[in-house]
Amino acid sequence: MIKLTNVYKVFFPNTSNEVLALNNINLDLNPGDFITIIGSNGAGKSTFLKVLAGIELPDAGKVELAGKDVTAYPEYLRAKDIGRIDQDPLASTASEMTIEENLAMAYKRGQVRGLRWAITSNKEKLFKEVLAEVGLGLENRLRVPVRTLSGGQRQALALVIATLAEPKLLLLDEHTAALDPKTAKQIMDLTGKIVSSKKLTTLMIPHNMEQAIKFGNRLMMMHRGQLILDLGHEEKSMLTVPQLVERFSTASGTAFDDDRVLLAT
Amino acid sequence: MENIITSGLQQGFIYGFMALGVLLTFRILGFPDLTVEGSFPLGAAITAKAIVVGADPLLAVLLGALAGGVAGAATGLMHTRMKVNNILAGILTTSAIYTVMLRTMGRPNIPLLTNENFFDRILRLFNITEGTLSLIQYKTVTITLLFVMVLTARLLLGWFLKTDLGLAVRATGDNEKMIRSLGVNTDNTKLLTLIISNFMVALSGALASQSQGFADVGMGIGVLVASIASVIVGEMLFGSRGLSMLLTGAILGSVIYRALLALGLRLNLPAEDFKAVTAILVLLALFLPNIKTRTQKPLSLPQVTENKEKEVGQE
Ligand SMILES: Nc1ncnc2c1ncn2[C@@H]1O[C@H](COP(=O)(O)OP(=O)(O)OP(=O)(O)O)[C@@H](O)[C@H]1O
Ligand SMILES: [Mg+2]
Repeated sequence: MIKLTNVYKVFFPNTSNEVLALNNINLDLNPGDFITIIGSNGAGKSTFLKVLAGIELPDAGKVELAGKDVTAYPEYLRAKDIGRIDQDPLASTASEMTIEENLAMAYKRGQVRGLRWAITSNKEKLFKEVLAEVGLGLENRLRVPVRTLSGGQRQALALVIATLAEPKLLLLDEHTAALDPKTAKQIMDLTGKIVSSKKLTTLMIPHNMEQAIKFGNRLMMMHRGQLILDLGHEEKSMLTVPQLVERFSTASGTAFDDDRVLLAT
Repeated sequence: MENIITSGLQQGFIYGFMALGVLLTFRILGFPDLTVEGSFPLGAAITAKAIVVGADPLLAVLLGALAGGVAGAATGLMHTRMKVNNILAGILTTSAIYTVMLRTMGRPNIPLLTNENFFDRILRLFNITEGTLSLIQYKTVTITLLFVMVLTARLLLGWFLKTDLGLAVRATGDNEKMIRSLGVNTDNTKLLTLIISNFMVALSGALASQSQGFADVGMGIGVLVASIASVIVGEMLFGSRGLSMLLTGAILGSVIYRALLALGLRLNLPAEDFKAVTAILVLLALFLPNIKTRTQKPLSLPQVTENKEKEVGQE
């Protein structure tokens, strides 16, 4: 359903700062897969997700989505099928607009936007329902500007925005990194709940190793722009964090150098 | 006193269209669009020329406003398709507009005092001839007419900004990355907003030419700062939170600003100083909140989008 073939991405080509951020990525995603991707700083994880989202276009290779070759599609043309959340809580919501306006925009994901009232009583009812499932009381604050929400509430709203129109692919780039541990756990649990109830195909860059093991049915490691390890559900669910670090060192031939990911809770 | 009020209302409503247009680009889209300094006199020039060659004043005003829409499209296309910096795109369009105006009018100035104007034409729709009204009646009627027009524009804009498309426009100014990730081509929302804004600004210029009885290539100088001043006055008096407040505030701000100008004239203050005084007041209004609370955003006018775009590039 989602397929990458020989994908390369180079930044600053032909200069002394040349970075091969993606080095021959090949991947075939099965519908319903929930993949976690780990790797040290600068391994190319974010670039990988951005190439899928169309924020960065690959320099070589092919990206297919639902049987369509979307390699050259800019972000806005793929948006119909892809929901994405960034680690910055400010990035995935519109601050000056209200909760219901944010949701009304998500409701129209990838569709033609015309001159109908964006908010109708039917939509309001729907928004209340989906927000009630989140369990943060946001359903009673539909008309409040998003700027007044906490980081955690914003990321919860971002999750609803990303998944409201049931995308074919959900991309999560350390979306709990900016939150305190307790809120991060809340948002992760909510993520797991939404992904499994909607059976969303998901790629997640987790904020720590524990998340990488706990969530998803497949775990991948990236190193210097390459996918160096691909663990299936059984193998992954037996792992402990130290074992995972060990597997990384063996596969990459280097020590796992990302203290942040190792130590973060 | 009466003069100050009637002048404030009449001029304020006329320039209210422009304040709405400026609010739309500077405040809502976060696009500092300098095209307006050109589309304002362009609206007047096209309208005046159309009238002297015999066009119906209603059609003439419409043509003037449409010319502004074209100017907005030019700036929008330069910025979105040719990646010209937003301020420079507006300057380029404005500069070209001067040639268009001089070529169209054939000279820098067209007087219109002997021609039937827009307001008389509307009166004729209701079978009223100008001569049958006293000056006060005539003023009341034109002010009422302008009030209805600017109120209509205000309501239409308020409605538009609450449609699916309008939300996409507002989100383009609020969080461009976010709305793009929801499938909106933000180049198109920017282009559309610039067209609407400059249409309204040129309409403002067209009506100004009808009220003052001439069109002049120089009549756009300083109108942008005056509009920003109006928007700021509106924000200070009616608050900047909430779309309705912003829109209504822009028009009322425009009325108050024009009344203050009329007052200044009445007090025999030197008219040639008004532009500098306005510029200084705008500067203070933008600067003072900044020193009070350095962490807070100043009165968010003008919001420059350059930073946002850099962010996108740096990703
Ligand atoms: N827009 C860009 N321009 C230039 N270089 C970039 C750009 N984006 C990423 N890079 C470079 O590409 C490499 C991969 O970056 P990427 O952000 O994908 O890493 P990452 O695995 O997400 O790292 P982290 O764990 O720190 O988030 C890095 O060397 C980075 O400096
Ligand atoms: Mg990253």
